[in-house]
Amino acid sequence: MTDAATAGLAIETHGLTKRFGERTALDGIDLQVPRGCAFGFLGPNGAGKTTIIRTLLGLTHASAGTMQILGHPVPAERAQALQRVGAIVEEPRFHMHLSGRENLRIVSAVRGPETAERIEPALARVGLHERADEKVKSYSMGMRQRLGVARCLLADPLLLILDEPTNGLDPGGIQEFREMIRAMVEQEGRTVFVSSHLLDEVEKTCDAAAIVDRGKIVTQGAIADLAAGGGARHELILGVDDPERALGILRASELVAEARPDDEGLRVVLSGEPQSAAQLNAELVRAGVGVTRLEPVRHSLEQRFLAVTSRLDADLVPAEVRG
Amino acid sequence: MNPTIAVQMVGADFLKLHKKRSIVVWALVLAFLPIVIFLIINGVEGDSPHFNDGLNALARLFGPLAAILIGVEAGTTDSSNGVFRDLVVTGRSRLALFATRVPAALALCWLVTLSAYVLLVVGVSALAVDGYPTPNAALILNALAYTALATGVVCVVAVGFGSLTTSKPGAIIALIAWQIVASPVIVAIETLGSARDGVLTQALTHFSPVGFEGGHHGGTILTMSTGTASVVVAVWLVVFLALGAWRTRTMDA
Repeated sequence: MTDAATAGLAIETHGLTKRFGERTALDGIDLQVPRGCAFGFLGPNGAGKTTIIRTLLGLTHASAGTMQILGHPVPAERAQALQRVGAIVEEPRFHMHLSGRENLRIVSAVRGPETAERIEPALARVGLHERADEKVKSYSMGMRQRLGVARCLLADPLLLILDEPTNGLDPGGIQEFREMIRAMVEQEGRTVFVSSHLLDEVEKTCDAAAIVDRGKIVTQGAIADLAAGGGARHELILGVDDPERALGILRASELVAEARPDDEGLRVVLSGEPQSAAQLNAELVRAGVGVTRLEPVRHSLEQRFLAVTSRLDADLVPAEVRG
Repeated sequence: MNPTIAVQMVGADFLKLHKKRSIVVWALVLAFLPIVIFLIINGVEGDSPHFNDGLNALARLFGPLAAILIGVEAGTTDSSNGVFRDLVVTGRSRLALFATRVPAALALCWLVTLSAYVLLVVGVSALAVDGYPTPNAALILNALAYTALATGVVCVVAVGFGSLTTSKPGAIIALIAWQIVASPVIVAIETLGSARDGVLTQALTHFSPVGFEGGHHGGTILTMSTGTASVVVAVWLVVFLALGAWRTRTMDA
């Protein structure tokens, strides 16, 4: 892959708006998806995730705003823009009376003759080579998802757009899918845009994300930054033998932006990088305060998501939380 | 779109169609069964099968029904299987996606109906009783062209109508009802006058190389000029191709 091909943004939208009659499904979306990463598009059901994907891909028309895919304005240069894009919108659909290989042959014919030689490698890549001549109606949901990815690979995509890709997959299939996405990003240098309502999914798979709610981007950025609430925010939980004295020392320290007691001990927000926690520990020890616990607070995307989205559906909460 | 891609896309559409067993079987039944029955009955009764009657059955009645099944399948298969959006996201023009359905449908339609026509010619010749005339080479070729025209036009109209409605059952029911119920009824209403010339079946019948006796084998037959018949056929083709293309180009995928 050339530098030119990977430079810039994979997806860029400004003021993207889509209305269905009186209802506004997308409301002035400004989205920037960097190249060469897995980007999560996170939002509750009905937030507008699929609508933006459909609009980007030209499956439906935008009411207002501008879009660029891989540097090409769409819809003006839609054909060039989509030449190196693979997409699964909602669930992957196929001609059920045809085999997996025949379904790929159909898409290959539409994409162009150069893609025919990618059919076998694509089938092998997703592990369907052995069953490629069976009719798709005999495939499981997981196999259809994999065939959908193989269909995307026919484009040798610089950008993959996957809409709720783990829907209907069992835990093993989900894990396999995550690994495939990570390999595509890390080993093959592709950009993967994953829409999902599953926080856990995005957090484990993606490098960056945008949170969408009611047709608006609420926030976007690196996963760690999003979880921390915008800019990078490094917090510690401290256990000490003299909390009153330690609090005084912490509040006076240049290394500390904020310090307060809470249920677990002292909660400290560092003013600098996380490495300064070691210096802070040394300061406390030098002052004669016994440190029994020093633990970085790991912010979860879930906390941030719940804070910024206005609606909560039961399925937004991960299964382990629901119990 | 370059010719290589166009040929490949037509091949892909043909693949979807000819592998659809239910459609192919029904089309074969509609095209072949009447010919087989016609030949058997005439053979059993010892009467020479009349080529004209067989051609009437194939080109005016049952061949167009087979053409409707194939044309509608071609026009709706991507939408009804939910695959249309996956073809759109390749970046290929929607008009190209529509356009390649037509030759693919015609190829299958003609493969079926013209095979049935060959059976008719062979059967009529084989079962001819001494003294009865068998079709000559010129008639055989003209009738072949007529069968191709009569079924091909209906097939193309069905592709356009199927693409317009995107509903396979709806399009098949509507077109068959038009073909076997509405068209004969409209033609039989004399007060409609020359407006009846607009019925496609009537315009196509004008190009038949054999005469059809009014009210005997296929209901009322109107007479019209070749120019009028040509215009009627062209209008049906243009209107339904335009409607199918418009819908394919503008619909949400």
